[in-house]
Amino acid sequence: MSTFNIWLGILQGLGTTAQVTAYGLVFAVPFALVFGVAQFLTTGMTRFLVTAIIEFWRSSAVVVLLFVFYYVLPVMGITLSALTVSALVLGLNTGGYASQAVRAGLQSLPAGQREAGMALGLSRLAILLLIELPQALIAMGPTFINNLIQLVKATSLVSLVTLTDMTFRAKEIAQTNYDPVAIYSALLLAFFVVCYPIALAGRWLEARIQS
Amino acid sequence: MLAQAPHPLSADQSMPHVRIHGLNKWFGAVHVLKDIDLTIRAGARIVVCGPSGSGKSTLIRCINGLEAFQKGKIEYEATSLGKNTRETAKARRQTGMVFQGFNLFPHLTVLANCTLALRRVLLKPAREAEEIAMRHLTAVRIPEKAKAYPAQLSGGQQQRVAIARALCLNPRVMLFDEPTSALDPEMIKEVLDVMIALARTGVTMVCVTHEMGFAREVADEIVFMDEGRIVEQASSKGFFSGTAHPRARLFLDTVLRH
Amino acid sequence: MGFNLDFALSTIPTIMEALGTTLLATVLSCLGASALGFTLEMIRRGGGAPGLAVRFLIDFIRSTPVLAWLYFLYFVMPFYGIRLGAMTVGILGLSLYYSGYLAEVFKAGIDAIPKGQQEAARALSLNRRDTVVFVIAPQMLRNVAAPLGNYLVSILKATPYLAILAVPEMLGRAFDIASETYRYAEPLTVAGILFLGLALIVAYGVKRVEQRLLAAGRR
Ligand SMILES: Nc1ncnc2c1ncn2[C@@H]1O[C@H](COP(=O)(O)OP(=O)(O)O)[C@@H](O)[C@H]1O
Ligand SMILES: [Mg+2]
Repeated sequence: MSTFNIWLGILQGLGTTAQVTAYGLVFAVPFALVFGVAQFLTTGMTRFLVTAIIEFWRSSAVVVLLFVFYYVLPVMGITLSALTVSALVLGLNTGGYASQAVRAGLQSLPAGQREAGMALGLSRLAILLLIELPQALIAMGPTFINNLIQLVKATSLVSLVTLTDMTFRAKEIAQTNYDPVAIYSALLLAFFVVCYPIALAGRWLEARIQS
Repeated sequence: MLAQAPHPLSADQSMPHVRIHGLNKWFGAVHVLKDIDLTIRAGARIVVCGPSGSGKSTLIRCINGLEAFQKGKIEYEATSLGKNTRETAKARRQTGMVFQGFNLFPHLTVLANCTLALRRVLLKPAREAEEIAMRHLTAVRIPEKAKAYPAQLSGGQQQRVAIARALCLNPRVMLFDEPTSALDPEMIKEVLDVMIALARTGVTMVCVTHEMGFAREVADEIVFMDEGRIVEQASSKGFFSGTAHPRARLFLDTVLRH
Repeated sequence: MGFNLDFALSTIPTIMEALGTTLLATVLSCLGASALGFTLEMIRRGGGAPGLAVRFLIDFIRSTPVLAWLYFLYFVMPFYGIRLGAMTVGILGLSLYYSGYLAEVFKAGIDAIPKGQQEAARALSLNRRDTVVFVIAPQMLRNVAAPLGNYLVSILKATPYLAILAVPEMLGRAFDIASETYRYAEPLTVAGILFLGLALIVAYGVKRVEQRLLAAGRR
């Protein structure tokens, strides 16, 4: 196989990589928003619970977590497809990280913002949705982009639970062609081609926010 | 207290320490120093003033080699500042610099700030370095803070430590770049008092400052800069008695009104 | 065949035996990543063609998954006749991958030091070496301590990747038990809990050290 064909072969897994990423975002985005805001607003026992859930997803080793859910859920009688389990685990792991950006973004807003909203007679929810969240989410945009890149890169793990993503394709090709240099360089390059533009977009966003 | 005793740094009064000839400096296309001529005699007390952006900091930074220049000469007794880095290093060792923002090393105690160069540059043993440092800390009236860290001191105290730190290397010329303009009003006096005491010991000093009271009391020469040029250079008496250049007079009026 | 708690508990000692390997891999990878990251940042700072090349290398590393790097090193090095143990390859891989991140940490740590510090050092006639050793490095270390600690935790959580190269760290040991007993759920759950606990403990320790440093900085 020529180097170019190897690369094309690996790119056949791009669909799965994209699918896991998109499906993962379905879990990550709501989790980050709900739990980030909850951690910001709650106090006492509720906050402890919210923090515990965030910490579980954020502080666990994602490699281990994927295997745990992949093997434990069926034992508990829950059967999900490998795609769903992967999206769930990778998504909530990423969501755990992003929730911290949401909370930090909200916390870093000057108190005057909320007070100005209250002075206008807005409800707490209205203040959150109309004043605080928009500012926090824009300020944290570059961080979310980094989280997204981490998610894309983490999808390489799904090759370990039988999904045919780019990493899986590389290993498949390696079984029939002894050309590790070309194959694994191509794999690295494939991820670079996907992630680097996202990183550049993040830098562009960061520069725009600062100006 | 420093009082009237001759300072060990004071030198033969007749010899010029630094001679600046036709100094020109550009930042990119911006011409910030234009044909500067200035002689700093031993024991001179020169105050440099002028509007913001007139090149005062740049001049003083050129004198101790923090800033490179494109044209002219700075002669430093035997050596001259220029392209040769070893000569520059040798010349720079003869100047002490006090910055507007103090620039103390935050991770070192006051004493360690003072002994660092004594030990690493003059290669003094620890005991001797500490003795020298304590002598200068006493001179700036802050020996009791020797073991403190800069963050624990007020701005005025930090600036006095910075003066002691610069004195430790026994420089021929002390350079000050607006040493009091980052300070709260109530701290300005303690720093100026130390500088006045220092001046009385005969140390050669060049001081960028807008403190005209200090200039009147201490300076024997006033240099007024505007747009990169020295537009007025006069004895302190001449400058304040109203023979000054119109631009200098205007400047003086605005400064004194504050 | 539900979840057998007794069996799960019985796997703890066996998996814990591999704790040393996990910690060793963590510490060595962190040291390697710091050394390499610092070197990369120094070259990048130097500018010129090497600086540009390193800038691209750092971007490249940060845009590619650690798993791909581990495969790359594991399969490519033997191709060139370099035969190293799986543990060594794993540590090299983690060091290389995280050096891309630590280079940024060192950059931020150096950039945060005010320019006046270098000028004061120059005005005191300190030479370049002394300026770095006595003025820049101590302040940089204080600046990077906290983010470095966070990356120590990240690296700890990345060590189970080494199980894929058959390194007998904790996850690898859990898989060994699983393939001997044909029961996956219990050993993997135990490994998951142990890694979570370990990460929380290390993160707590890092936070404590960070607070001490902050207190010291406020002195
Ligand atoms: N590092 C620099 N790069 C470019 N321009 C500079 C730099 N430092 C100073 N300048 C410019 O040089 C001129 C003189 O500055 P400076 O010597 O700081 O003036 P002063 O100390 O009298 O306020 C100003 O126009 C300033 O903008
Ligand atoms: Mg200035």
